[in-house]
Amino acid sequence: MSIDQATEQGVPVPLSFAYELNDVVQAYSGTPVLQIAECHIEADRITALVGPNGSGKSTLLNLLSFIDSPDEGHLHFFGDTVPTTGTEAFRHHIGYVQQKPYLLNTTVFRNVELGLKLRKVEKSQRRKQVLQFLDEFGITHLAERRAHELSGGEVQKVAIARALVLTPRVLILDEPFSHLDTRFHLEFESLLRGMRERSQTVIFSTHDRFQALALADSVCTLLDGHLMPISEVNLFTGRLDRARNMFVTRQLEVNVPKLASEGTRLSIDSRQLVINGTAAEPGMRNNFPGTVQAIRHEAGEIHIDVMARELFHAVITRQVLNELRVQVGDPVWVSFKASAVSIF
Amino acid sequence: MDYFLQALGAASTLIFSFDRDIYIIVWTSLYISLVAVILASLAGIPLGLLVHFRSFPGKGMVLQLLNTLMALPTVVVGLFLYGMLTRQGPLGDLDILYTPLAIVIGECILILPIIWNLSISAAASADPRILATCKALGASPLQQSLLFVNEIRYALVAAVVAGFGRAVGEVGVAMMLGGNINGFTRTMTTAIALETSKGEFEFALALGLLLLATAFVVNLLLQRFQRLNR
Repeated sequence: MSIDQATEQGVPVPLSFAYELNDVVQAYSGTPVLQIAECHIEADRITALVGPNGSGKSTLLNLLSFIDSPDEGHLHFFGDTVPTTGTEAFRHHIGYVQQKPYLLNTTVFRNVELGLKLRKVEKSQRRKQVLQFLDEFGITHLAERRAHELSGGEVQKVAIARALVLTPRVLILDEPFSHLDTRFHLEFESLLRGMRERSQTVIFSTHDRFQALALADSVCTLLDGHLMPISEVNLFTGRLDRARNMFVTRQLEVNVPKLASEGTRLSIDSRQLVINGTAAEPGMRNNFPGTVQAIRHEAGEIHIDVMARELFHAVITRQVLNELRVQVGDPVWVSFKASAVSIF
Repeated sequence: MDYFLQALGAASTLIFSFDRDIYIIVWTSLYISLVAVILASLAGIPLGLLVHFRSFPGKGMVLQLLNTLMALPTVVVGLFLYGMLTRQGPLGDLDILYTPLAIVIGECILILPIIWNLSISAAASADPRILATCKALGASPLQQSLLFVNEIRYALVAAVVAGFGRAVGEVGVAMMLGGNINGFTRTMTTAIALETSKGEFEFALALGLLLLATAFVVNLLLQRFQRLNR
C-alpha cells in the first residue's frame, strides 16, 4: 500500500523506507570499518547520522550514495536491491554533498549544471533550473566565477546548489554545517525542512548530537563502524575518569566498562534499564534511587520516566509494570550494568 | 667568432627569404612528429589512466620499466626497428624502411613511455575527490573517465608537449629509419647533421634556429593554454 492510499483511507501511515541495509560490511585493506547488521532509513524524513570522527559516517554515506558498494551484505533502495555494479540509475536519485566538496575546474554555472547534463536535461531547461537555484542560494553573482576563486563557504553553497538542482529523491550531506556561516546556517535548516515537506529524504552526518536532535526526525549513532542502539533519551554529558572507570556527570557517577572508549557523552539503551520497587538490582554495578515521573503505554510497551538525579527513560513490559505496581510519584531504583553504557 | 656571426647572418637571411628547401624540411619534421605524438597520446593517455586506476600484479615493475624507457636511447630504437623493417627482417615485406611512416613508428615507440609515464603522474597528482564527485553527480564509467581527463587536462597537455619535444628534436630514429631522403624523409635534425658534415654550416644553423623556434612556440602555446583557463 502506498503512503497516499493509506492517508486517504485515514488509517495510520505505514512507514516506507528509503534504505534498508542487511549485514553490510565495508572494509579497507582487510580491516572492517563499517559493520551494520540491520538498518532502516525512513523515506521523506530527515535522518541524522551522529558519531565522532573516524566512526564510519563518510563510509556509510558513500554506500548510501552508491559511490561505493559494500564488500558484504545487501542494500535496498526504496525496495529495490542495489547491484554492486552499474548503479547509475540509482545514483540519479541522489544528491550528495561531500564533507569537503570538490568543484570541477570550471565556472560555478557549469558545476551546478553538470548533474543535469549527465541526466540529459535539455539545454534551455538546464539553464533555467541552474539560474533558479543560484538565485535561491544568493550566489547568482558567482555564476561565471571559476571554482578556485571561491571561498570555503561559497564552495559549500555551490556544492549544495549542485546537489539540489537535481531535485533528488534523497539528499545526502556529509557534515554540511562545518563550513557554513551562521546566517546561511538557519536558511539551510529551513531548506532541509522544506525538502521533507516536498517528500524528499534527507540524510546528514554531524558530530554534533544536539544539532542532530534539533533538526532530524531520527538519529542514528555510529561508533567504530557499528550502529549504536541509542537515541536522544538517557544521554548524559560529562567526563570519563579512567582511573576509577567512572563516567562523571554533574549529578551522577556511572560505572563504565574498563575498556570504555573516550568521549564526553554517555548513553544507555532504555531497554537495558531495570526498574525495581524496593531495592537495588543485585549484580548490577549502577543503582540509583529516584521517583517515577511518568508512565506511558506505547505500542504494547511501557515507557517509564524516573528522576534519579538525572532523568532516566526505561522501556519495560506490561508484565513487569504489573509486578512493580508503581505509580507516578512512587520511589523506585534504576539499575543497569556497566556494559549497558556507551560513551562517545 | 666572426665566422659564427657571419653564419648567423646568412642563416637569418635563409630563414627570412623563406628558402623553399628549408621550409620543406621544417614541414617534414613537423608533420612526422605531429602524427607520432598524436598516435602516442591516443595510446599513452588511456594506458596511463589504466595503470593508475587498476591494481594488478607487477604494477611496480611496469612503473619501473616505464621510468627506464623514458630515457630510451634514440639510436637503440632506430637500430631495433631497422632490424625489423630491413628487407631481411621479419617485417621487411611491409617495405616501409626509409619512409616517413617508419620514422613515425620509431618516434611513437620513443615517446610512448614518456606520455604514458607522465599521464600516470598527472592522474596520481589529481585531486582524489574528482571521481567520487563525478560519480555522485550520476556519471557513467565512461563519463567519469572523460570528466577526469578534462580535470587533469593541463598536466596531460604538458605530457603531450614533452613527447612532441622529444620527437621533433631526436636524430637517431629519423636518420636510421628515414634515411635522410631530400624532400621525403629529411627532417630538421637529420638535415642539420648532414649539412654540418658537408660544411654547409649556415644552412644547418638556419635549421637549428628554426628547431629552437619550434620548441619555443610550442611551449608558448602550452603556457597560453594553461593561463587561458586559470
